[in-house]
Amino acid sequence: MRGFVPVGDEFEALLEPEEARVLASLAAQLSALLGEAADDVELSQADPAVARLLPDAYRDDEEAAAEWRRLSRRALAERKGAFAARFAADLADAAAASETTRIRIDEAGALDWMRSIGDLRLVLAERMGLTEEDDDEFDGFDELDDEDAADAADAERAGLVDLYQWLAWMQDDLVQVLDDAAGTAP
Amino acid sequence: MALPSVPLVDDDVEVERRELHASEVPWITIVWNDPVNLMSYVSWVFRRHFGMDARTAEKRMMQVHTEGRAVVAEGNREAMERHVEAMHEYGLWATLDRARR
Repeated sequence: MRGFVPVGDEFEALLEPEEARVLASLAAQLSALLGEAADDVELSQADPAVARLLPDAYRDDEEAAAEWRRLSRRALAERKGAFAARFAADLADAAAASETTRIRIDEAGALDWMRSIGDLRLVLAERMGLTEEDDDEFDGFDELDDEDAADAADAERAGLVDLYQWLAWMQDDLVQVLDDAAGTAP
Repeated sequence: MALPSVPLVDDDVEVERRELHASEVPWITIVWNDPVNLMSYVSWVFRRHFGMDARTAEKRMMQVHTEGRAVVAEGNREAMERHVEAMHEYGLWATLDRARR
């Protein structure tokens, strides 16, 4: 994948089947996790990734936070689940294909992608135990990657780091493409 | 001649002294730093959702990044709840609080 290009009001990218399958699988998992979280408030305590996807709206007022969870948490989880489900649906054809597939999304679709990619990065960061921030996000991860490379058992983690950085690249690409299209680039 | 049934003077005093309605107490929306969201994305969300110009969005984003938090909106509670919910839809970590005077 080499990034999105604007075509009229829409955006196109070429996706390899393997890339599409990885993304489609992640999107489906995210959608399922959010679906589960919508029905189960306790999941926010049990799974820090869910807590990060659906944070409290109040920080120092537990009563207001609880009221917020009661009134708004489920609908928010459902909306985020719908973003991920549409992201997965956009990828379905390319994931089933045996050759490179051109996919086209409109601006609303690009928003679904950006939000879902961001949510996936939040989940991956929790799964990798990332809590500290380096001054430069990418250098930070290169460093993390090198340390982990010394430990062969951490190959899976190195794979997650690659995935995490690939998603960052994709989200950044969408930001630029949408900015260019809107003519609001800084 | 009958006296007015409602003491008008007291009524005026009542209006003067009434407490602010909940919708008039200023609230703020705060975005908190996290180690995950890209700087370019956070700044884009600020431009898109709050309609900030590029310079303001960049400034607020840098404030989140370096100071750990930034106030991105001020207004009544309902409006701030909507902003917080929108930030959560974008995957940003946001809360609302009473504005400190």
